[in-house]
Amino acid sequence: MDILISSIVAGVLIGMVLALVALGLTIIFGVMDIVNFAHGEFLMIGMYTGLLTAKAVGMDPLLTLPVAAAVGFLLGVICYYGFVKFLLRGPMVAQLLGTFGLMLFLRNLALLIFGSEDRALHHGLLVDKSFDFGMGVIIPATKLAAAGLSVIAFVAVWLMMNRTKVGKALTATALNAQGARYMGIATERMNALAWGIGGGSVTVAGALIVNFWSVNPFVGLLFTMIAFAIVALGGFGSVPGAFFAGLVVGILMELPGIWDFFTYTFDSDWMARVPMTSFKYTFVYLAYFIIMVIRPSGLFGWKH
Amino acid sequence: MRAKAKLLVFLGLVAIYGLLIPSGAMAVREIKIGVIYPLTGGAAAAGRELRAGAELAAKIANNVYPNLPMTMAQHAGIQSLGGAKIKLIFKDHEGNPTLGADLAKKLILDDKVDGILGCYFSSVTKTVSAVCEQYGVPMINGSSTSPALTKRGFKWFWRTTPHDKWFTKDLFELLKGLTEGKVRGVKAIPKKEIMNIAAACEKTEWGSHVSQLIAQFAKEYGFKLRKSILYAAKSTDLSSEVRSLKAARPDVMLFASYTSDAILMVKTLKAQRAHPKIIWGQDAGFEKPEFRKTLGDNIIGILTRTVFLPKVVEIKKLAGLVNAMYKEKTGNDLGGASARAFTGLQTWFHVLEKAGSTKPADIQRAANTIYIAGKELVVPWKGIKFSTSGDELGQNVLGSGLIGQYQKQKDGSVGLEIVYPFDVSSADMIFPFPGY
Repeated sequence: MDILISSIVAGVLIGMVLALVALGLTIIFGVMDIVNFAHGEFLMIGMYTGLLTAKAVGMDPLLTLPVAAAVGFLLGVICYYGFVKFLLRGPMVAQLLGTFGLMLFLRNLALLIFGSEDRALHHGLLVDKSFDFGMGVIIPATKLAAAGLSVIAFVAVWLMMNRTKVGKALTATALNAQGARYMGIATERMNALAWGIGGGSVTVAGALIVNFWSVNPFVGLLFTMIAFAIVALGGFGSVPGAFFAGLVVGILMELPGIWDFFTYTFDSDWMARVPMTSFKYTFVYLAYFIIMVIRPSGLFGWKH
Repeated sequence: MRAKAKLLVFLGLVAIYGLLIPSGAMAVREIKIGVIYPLTGGAAAAGRELRAGAELAAKIANNVYPNLPMTMAQHAGIQSLGGAKIKLIFKDHEGNPTLGADLAKKLILDDKVDGILGCYFSSVTKTVSAVCEQYGVPMINGSSTSPALTKRGFKWFWRTTPHDKWFTKDLFELLKGLTEGKVRGVKAIPKKEIMNIAAACEKTEWGSHVSQLIAQFAKEYGFKLRKSILYAAKSTDLSSEVRSLKAARPDVMLFASYTSDAILMVKTLKAQRAHPKIIWGQDAGFEKPEFRKTLGDNIIGILTRTVFLPKVVEIKKLAGLVNAMYKEKTGNDLGGASARAFTGLQTWFHVLEKAGSTKPADIQRAANTIYIAGKELVVPWKGIKFSTSGDELGQNVLGSGLIGQYQKQKDGSVGLEIVYPFDVSSADMIFPFPGY
């Protein structure tokens, strides 16, 4: 029973963090209809920012979140004004290939600066600590904190989008850019803001994730794929959809643990031989594939 | 006229001399050995160690160190090749078998190397040795331990290190020894206390073979393998794998991991409070200085198989002397990877010395008939002699393994003590695993 509960809890916790990862992608898509292939690379930069700031200043990694947010926001805005703005003039395929190029550029830049070695945090207030909740459920403190802070960041962005004038302007730009422009909304600034918020939220997620995952310049691809799956499941452009889809994806990633529960419950040799952990991401991509075929607008798709 | 006759005689003598001396030996001043290791990526730390080991061996071969009791240190260069020096050309395969094969082709075709040394990753050794076989270029492998590598019948491939079948058998001998009271400092324990095993191995050529061997020997020795997992060595998170291992409630946890994943695995085991009675790593990452430095006291009680431990220095004087040189160069003691890289290049030296030529066929003949005595080596083997028949062509038949356990040393540091073979154990074994 402990494996079942601990797997579900672990899935929910990592799902909360993954939801924050996908938030930026869904906001950028929602506002501008652009799929940012470099999203995972933004996260990778967030991971390096958290790691290097913690090491350089000697502060706890969790306290580096404002730095990561600032770096991500600036990176998003710079990318928009220096690059994406020009892509918008071209056809859809130019936008796709453009952000794909950005992905390769950022990845190779990181490779040049940081090298290809894995780096990980080995010290910190919560690093290597865990809480025993009984029933065999042991949660690493870093994951618990990351999940909690992700939810706070997620709610903050959601409130900003729904309860502030800026957020409403963003939504208006997303729904009808031309109409919003007629109403006096500076849509270009809104686009830049969407990239800023998208960049900031994903780098914060990166700074949280680096507390328990190691980082290398190639780590972004995995997260881009996961974020795509979450956004597709939740519906492109839907903020609440990203949250719930994040939880679903988190639990899908923990299916091997749920399988183990049944394996040991039935004491089945053949079930024990199935290499479920090797397929932990396969279930996520399978869900992505199925939802794209059955319901392309996703579970909570709202825009189209 | 007389002067003309003298000139003719002189030219004739030069021609005869030229015919008598093998062409391979005549113009040789430098022997180029291509060395392919993982110098970047997750195994970069191991790559640095391997490189330092090979470089130290080349340095000793190319210079004179009269105080080192080994043939290689007595003359500068290879005597049978007119004192030719060994030049190492390093390439980085990044853990990528395809890249490794491309690099091997470049070394052979562009750099015109006389032979290859490498590649640590069994998966890369597999592709590189296939290229060497295709071009008829000799390759000596010092540190890849997948048993399959010497089962292919290759004629240009020789492996000095013992392979995983021997190492894994050693582990089960240790477990059996625990039940029979043979382990120093541990009373015989009932087999049921260490009956359940769970294994997690990285899923390249090496790890997947180790996984199969664990299953095979568990059956043979009567242990129950409750869970066996393959995972990607480049994983950045192993929590679901560890949860799955824990769910099997194993008494013994076995791992085959490279450096970064070995560190991540132990950190995750600690975070998940996994507490088996025995944790054993199949060398590689579990034996690297980075593993020790990063995890510190958390690894006390963890076992790893190896072919070299600093404690060997106490048994072999030569190992102590070479270790001192290695420590001066790198700041670290020799480890399993560096000692085997050293031995790999040392084997190249002896093979070339015996061949007296750089012609591949001469090198092949020399490698197939070479015998290097154990007293020449830093590793505690009986020697080096390659199998030339049967199903393990090119395998050194005189190698052997050790199992070490991390224990607190007198100076407060964490170091490896020999616990297997039982007759050379250097300390009492800590049993059960005390926790992190």
